[in-house]
Amino acid sequence: MVLKNFEEMIKNTFRPSVTRLCPEVPTEVSDRYRGMHKLDRDKCIGCGICAGTCPTRAIRIVRYGRWFPMIDFGHCMFCGLCVDQCPNDALTMTKEYTEAISPDRYALIYGPAQLMGEED
Amino acid sequence: MVNKHDVKKRMRQLAAEYIHEPQQEAYKLDDTEMMLHIGPQNPIQPGPFLIDLKISGETVRDSKLYMGYGHKGIEKILESMTYIQGLPVTDRICYLASLSNNEAYVSSVERLLDIEPPERSQYIRVIMQELSRIQSHLLGTGEYATDLGFVTMFLFMIREREYVLGLIEDITGARITHCFPRFGGVREDLPDGWREKAIDVLSMINEKCEMYKELFSSDRTYRMRTVDIGTLTKEDVIKAGLTGPALRATGIDYDVRKVYPTLTYPDIDFKVQTAKKGDIFNRVMVRINEIQESCWIIEQALDQMKPGPLFPDELPYGRRTPSMRVPPGEAYVPVEDPRGEMAMYIVSDGTDKPYRVKIRGPAFALMQGLPPMLENVYIADVPAIAASMDSCNSEVDR
Amino acid sequence: MLEEQMDILLGILYTILGNDYWWGPWIRGVIGLCAMGGIMVAAMFAVWLERKYASDIQSRIGPNRVGGKYGLLQLIADAIKLFTKEDIKPDKVDGPVWAGAPILMFGSALLMIIAIPFGAFIFNGVTYPLAVTQFDISILYLEAVSAIGIIGIFMAGWGSNNKFSVIAAFRNIARMIGYEVALGLTIVSVVIVTGSLNIVDIVEAQGSVIWFAFVMPLGFVIFGVSLIADMGRVPFDQNEAEEELIAGWGTEYSGMRFGLAYFAEYIHMVLGSCIAVLIFLGGWNMPGFLVDLHIPLIGLLPAGIFLAKWVLVMMFVIMIRWALPRIRIDQVTSIGWKVLFPLAMVNLVWAAMIGLVWPW
Repeated sequence: MVLKNFEEMIKNTFRPSVTRLCPEVPTEVSDRYRGMHKLDRDKCIGCGICAGTCPTRAIRIVRYGRWFPMIDFGHCMFCGLCVDQCPNDALTMTKEYTEAISPDRYALIYGPAQLMGEED
Repeated sequence: MVNKHDVKKRMRQLAAEYIHEPQQEAYKLDDTEMMLHIGPQNPIQPGPFLIDLKISGETVRDSKLYMGYGHKGIEKILESMTYIQGLPVTDRICYLASLSNNEAYVSSVERLLDIEPPERSQYIRVIMQELSRIQSHLLGTGEYATDLGFVTMFLFMIREREYVLGLIEDITGARITHCFPRFGGVREDLPDGWREKAIDVLSMINEKCEMYKELFSSDRTYRMRTVDIGTLTKEDVIKAGLTGPALRATGIDYDVRKVYPTLTYPDIDFKVQTAKKGDIFNRVMVRINEIQESCWIIEQALDQMKPGPLFPDELPYGRRTPSMRVPPGEAYVPVEDPRGEMAMYIVSDGTDKPYRVKIRGPAFALMQGLPPMLENVYIADVPAIAASMDSCNSEVDR
Repeated sequence: MLEEQMDILLGILYTILGNDYWWGPWIRGVIGLCAMGGIMVAAMFAVWLERKYASDIQSRIGPNRVGGKYGLLQLIADAIKLFTKEDIKPDKVDGPVWAGAPILMFGSALLMIIAIPFGAFIFNGVTYPLAVTQFDISILYLEAVSAIGIIGIFMAGWGSNNKFSVIAAFRNIARMIGYEVALGLTIVSVVIVTGSLNIVDIVEAQGSVIWFAFVMPLGFVIFGVSLIADMGRVPFDQNEAEEELIAGWGTEYSGMRFGLAYFAEYIHMVLGSCIAVLIFLGGWNMPGFLVDLHIPLIGLLPAGIFLAKWVLVMMFVIMIRWALPRIRIDQVTSIGWKVLFPLAMVNLVWAAMIGLVWPW
């Protein structure tokens, strides 16, 4: 009657727990995880297709020597359309997601230098 | 095209006839009655809606439903975005079943464009649909269990759902809003080693579903709360326009995958799960049976898949196909969402943005089916019935 | 030698605690306060046990940050949080009724402390039960006092001036009226076998033969179900059902008022489990067949046995909470009156027959 429930609950106390110990142990994500972007300087031609495709208009093309994209991670919804449309595969998504949190919304606007990893 | 002046005249007529709520018949109270608002903000609701209950003692005499607290204007937003930009927006109509929403949108646009995805893409889309169905049913049944007071069941189902979400994340890269199918194919192929992992996870879920069915059906306190409560008859469901597990639990075997088969569903052998009586108990059983059936479908699809291209030959750029001008016309392709029949009626006028997108969401009908069921039940049955219908408020109010 | 030392010790104890000097009653009062403090610590332990055991059932880790790896001081952090919250008094509540409800619940739970023996100290064959006082009608007193808490819940529900709270209050009264009858009848059947209302006598009666749980299994099951209904835990917690009634009678309470009521519920659970152990599970005695083996029960071992049994009963009560769904209120009352009440009468007849042959 209700005894099947009790038996199941008691059996479950002896199985290991499945909690992720979040701040101490970082969560494992898959290889294709859509995290923050990374730009490859040699492949980007500054065409602007990524800026035109973005549904939230989070990408703007600015000058840094040549023309490069600047991404506002406050508006980005990590959909991955910009990565799909890039003709040269210059824009890719890494597994990094903890940097997209900040108390200051202007610190989330990543210029081309930050996207290329040349500056912090 | 509708005449603007006719519309305005009709709206003025409706405004003149509208009776303010406290004077409506349903709101007049006797000495023994009380009005209870299970209101827009309530700890148990998945989203904001309002049910006004007229109760006398502990029995519900009358009820009235108000929706629309979460209206976001998605259909209007889709009119100002190109077809490819609209795809992440359709993810967010109902975040639990986001692959089915994507599928409905992409199928309709493919019919307008008159292209057909190759066979491997179709199998991958079938696998993603069924995985999305498994995780949505697990979460929906878990939420229903909390509304009965059975919190442990919720935690068990969430634990299994994490494995399924891990499988989905391996392919698409995200856990809930996937944005995965593309016009003519899918974004990426299955990764290496995914097939063995999937077969392990699916066999574990099959075993756990057997355990859930036993826990639910052998527990006498649970049966007291759910058998013969919230019964829907066949006439009620057809009148309300319900589809999905709520319809199939009454005995009518209408499943969009069998009636309007798209993709490769005709090649896969599966049974439509029905039950004989449309009460709460059977609705939940139909859902758990559907989880097991979906595991079987995925295994067949993995066996039948052959290597091949992901996009058809007339789209040489594959997933890089830019925004296209879609030929004018209209299309409606229904898809079996975990909650019922989901479709998008897209009208295009030849430009690169749609003219009108009307979303036929199954959750709206599920909410509409609530007030007829709430006649002469106890207050404690109301959340159990509402949660067993498994409607998603953000899809109702899109 | 030993008797002389025992006599000196007893003489000292009577001097300190007796009525000969002026300090006697005051020291007894301090000991009573320590007993109250001990119950608070036991209730904190009960909360910790619930959270940890519930997380074990649900495949997760419970509190693990405050107070070391096992989160032992989590309740102190929660209590500090509740103390520092703003005390909001809604405008239209019925002032004294609303404010007095948590106090009444807490007080009625604490009143039960004075009659319950928490183990015993056996020295030289004489049993000294560790109770604050010991009087002849203790079991009747305990049952009566545990029912006062319901008035507190009803005051909370009525004084809050809130539809949800009023419905919860009515449900409470319906539940309690149904289950107090069955509870009382099972206690009466135990009293019939023992022949005395004194709770220490009931424990001693079990020590000589065997625990009452094996002799009257039907009575034990009825007592268990009625006790869980009395404590207001799932599957009987309609009064605080979160789905339709937001928080039931506790809707308008926040901060330490809510903390008092919440704590009172756990104290009630602790003391209810103590009563279950004492009446049906032999209290601080080992079963009769072990006594025949002449294992000497010396010193504080009986208190340790009592503690172990108490922890097991609490774990069982916690497990029931997390294993079953909630029952609807009309089904609750129908179970109480249509199933438990006749069975309790049958148990009464059975107990009367046992009472004729009990070697007491």
